[in-house]
Amino acid sequence: MTAQRYLEDVSVGEAMPAMVKNASRAQLFLFSAATNNPHRIHYDREYAAVEGHPDVLVHGPLQGAWLSQFVVDWAGPGGRLVAMGWQNRGRAFPESDLTFRGKVTSISGDEVSLQVWEEDAAGTVLMPCTARVRLPRRP
Amino acid sequence: MIGQRLSEPVTGTITSRDAQRFALAAGDRNPLYFDEAVARAAGYRTTLVPPVLLAWSLNPPRPLDDLRADGLYRGEGKRVTLNVKRVMFGGEEWEFLEPVFAGDTITSETRLKSLEEKSGGSGPFVLQMTETTYTNQDGAVVARAVGRSIAR
Repeated sequence: MTAQRYLEDVSVGEAMPAMVKNASRAQLFLFSAATNNPHRIHYDREYAAVEGHPDVLVHGPLQGAWLSQFVVDWAGPGGRLVAMGWQNRGRAFPESDLTFRGKVTSISGDEVSLQVWEEDAAGTVLMPCTARVRLPRRP
Repeated sequence: MIGQRLSEPVTGTITSRDAQRFALAAGDRNPLYFDEAVARAAGYRTTLVPPVLLAWSLNPPRPLDDLRADGLYRGEGKRVTLNVKRVMFGGEEWEFLEPVFAGDTITSETRLKSLEEKSGGSGPFVLQMTETTYTNQDGAVVARAVGRSIAR
């Protein structure tokens, strides 16, 4: 988790420092357990092939959780995530780097709008996302 | 059918243990979910729940007899039952209106927002949009989520 970010320090166009995730198969299993998700495409490679996937898939909701973590960490403990939306565009696989990037698109009052995305190792965007956070002013 | 409630409202208490289990499974060590003192210093009355956990925390436990061959539960709530092979998670739009604290009792209610037939690169599909409202024990709406799922 990063230090507090203040409204005064943010400017439109500014890039967010990237975050990299690389999920092990065990992590996928734990996420299935934490969300009570028994879908076999997340732990059974043989079955994943039946649905046309070359390997087990990273859960869409896990990627959603990562997107929100990326934004919440950027904002710091005194910031607040107020809105967020994402779309599933491509498949994400375990044991492969997934990079989260973003930039500030606008600032209105104490609300900062962000454009965020997750990309795979080839740079293909897997999940485009927009988010709004409220940031505190410098004390 | 549009606007219709897709299932009875579900109520459940989200514990700090639920919150921490979810956060750790996502590799998220944010102290606001773990450390009471940090949460208080940030102006909260206790530790928080990761915002997107709301979508999963209230799923009622289901018996093994409800499992289909693909591992999903039969007649999974929050969707219209369609005679299709697969339902994929398409994305979500969230509004977070109030913080959710560990120990909060949340009620969720899901309604059908839209149902559209579309055609894509891999053939025809149905795009279903649902809207879920999450309300806490004080009657405050804490979040709204519009979910898209793709059935083919």
